[in-house]
Amino acid sequence: MSLISLKSIYKIYSVGGEEVRALDGIDLNISGNEYLAIMGPSGSGKSTLMNIVGCLDTPTSGVYEFEEEMVQDMDDSQLASIRNRKIGFVFQTFNLLPKSTAQHNVEIPLVYANIPKNDRKNMASMALKSVGLSDRKHHRPNELSGGQRQRVAIARALVNNPSIILADEPTGNLDSKSGNEIMEILDTLHKKGNTVILVTHEDEIAKHAHRIIRLFDGKIIEDLKQNY
Amino acid sequence: MLTLFFENFKISLSAVYANKTRSILTALGIIIGVFSVTLMGTLISGLDRSFEQSMSMLGKDMLYVGRFEWFSDMEWWEVRSRPRMRYEYVDKIKQRSNLALAVSPVMQRGASLSYNDQETWTEIFGTNEEYMETISSDLYEGRFFSQGEDRSGSRVTIIGYGIKEAFFGEESPLDKFIKIDNVKFRVIGVLEKQGKFLGIFSADNQAILPFGAFKRIFSKRGWMRLSIKVPKEKINEGYDEITAVMRHIRRLKPSEKNDFAINQTKIFEKQYKTLKFGIAGTGYFITLLSLVVGGIGIMNIMFVSVKERTREIGVRKAIGATRGMIMVQFLMEAVTICLVAGLIGLLFAYMSSFFINKIFPSTLPIGLATFSILISMIVGILAGFIPSYRASKLDPIDSLRYE
Repeated sequence: MSLISLKSIYKIYSVGGEEVRALDGIDLNISGNEYLAIMGPSGSGKSTLMNIVGCLDTPTSGVYEFEEEMVQDMDDSQLASIRNRKIGFVFQTFNLLPKSTAQHNVEIPLVYANIPKNDRKNMASMALKSVGLSDRKHHRPNELSGGQRQRVAIARALVNNPSIILADEPTGNLDSKSGNEIMEILDTLHKKGNTVILVTHEDEIAKHAHRIIRLFDGKIIEDLKQNY
Repeated sequence: MLTLFFENFKISLSAVYANKTRSILTALGIIIGVFSVTLMGTLISGLDRSFEQSMSMLGKDMLYVGRFEWFSDMEWWEVRSRPRMRYEYVDKIKQRSNLALAVSPVMQRGASLSYNDQETWTEIFGTNEEYMETISSDLYEGRFFSQGEDRSGSRVTIIGYGIKEAFFGEESPLDKFIKIDNVKFRVIGVLEKQGKFLGIFSADNQAILPFGAFKRIFSKRGWMRLSIKVPKEKINEGYDEITAVMRHIRRLKPSEKNDFAINQTKIFEKQYKTLKFGIAGTGYFITLLSLVVGGIGIMNIMFVSVKERTREIGVRKAIGATRGMIMVQFLMEAVTICLVAGLIGLLFAYMSSFFINKIFPSTLPIGLATFSILISMIVGILAGFIPSYRASKLDPIDSLRYE
């Protein structure tokens, strides 16, 4: 059974009367506990694919099943609920709320999931502990290093026990040492049974994944399983 | 849902707090608006109370017959030649009227009052023994004069409570002699404490004399009015009857206009209502304007806030906020600013009502306080609606890319 199943997905924009096929017939199945990297040059459609997989966007046509739920027919609040419960986002630019502490940043998804305050605190603390930031709970993002910020973002992504972690260029804004730390955390998450999807253009990063998908002009041109 | 509500409230408080100066400047319009709405209401309710109190001095069962209307749009030349009221009318009205319960003539002038070496300026009234029935207050001590004392021109007087306090303090003034314009009068009674009439004339600063003595000593000619008491429920019939009686006394032909005026409390009320609506209307209009201006300020700052936090909105949506939740977050931010502004305005109004109270009666009713808080919340919701709606409609992907 696939966790994610995409069948002939098209995403078509019209820019100045001209049709642009950002995704041009994508078929893709992702199972539980896969470690997948999506690669491709800019403009290849990898961001669009990630947005659709992450339920931030809906395809122009095609069928998207997420844990056997039909995503393409969902309205805004159903999509929000899927993003909240099933998907953990990790962004290149971290995207933490600058005026909130690490602890509070990690709690936000739980607030939207309507989880009581005490549970929220415990769950956020545990998530921060799992990325090794127990001693930085009450720091604000500007008091943390880039690597630490990204770790807070990972804690936020996994606090709700999502089905997949979707990381868009997670090391793009980090030096190589912090980048390696982040990748180690993602590796560990995968070993513990999480499904991790990376979007990257760096081969070094993609090497961590067990399956690499290359996109070009909105089409999958390579689907490579690596053995480790 | 409640968790979310509190969380949103906390978010908006911290957002407001994070931009202290901006929030306060923005809130100024609302502060001023709520301040003036509250102050306006305070003044009007104070005005109402003092008017009500003053009207109770006059009595709703009274007709006051005199030469001129209290409030009139007639030209002066139309009424200046009207004949004076005469003392004989009292008996004539009593003979002809079925409804008149009491009729008393009242003459009035200023006079100096003295006792030992103390002196004061006051209003003195000359009237008959039925006077007490035509006013709403009672005697504090002593008695009123009798018909006999009136007819014989006895020099007795009933003084207001204020004069008693000024001249005699705790002592009893009864049977003491005071001088009114250097003529000795014996005090036989004291009126109870009444307060001011319409905030102008103190009813406690007066002396009442028998008509006979008043006329002989102070004034042969002078303005006189008649106070006529009729049954309360028959005030309109009384008005018609007294009009007919007066027309008969004056021997007016049916074609001739009345050459006298019958006034009643009702006229005061009508006049007061016009005045009050004038004041309130203008006041509330200006207030409304300042609230609208304040609301526009809030709306403006909310647009800025939404724009500034586009990325935050994107992040919140990506991690699971629905449109409704984003909308509520920004709406609550607007309402919070307005609510805080409203409370500040209310506090200012409350403090100023203390000072105003010194020159003008005013009170801040709890209902009005609630009302102005409600108003500021409504302004917040109205002003915050469009910006919040826009925030909720933002596309998560575009917002996440926003720099």
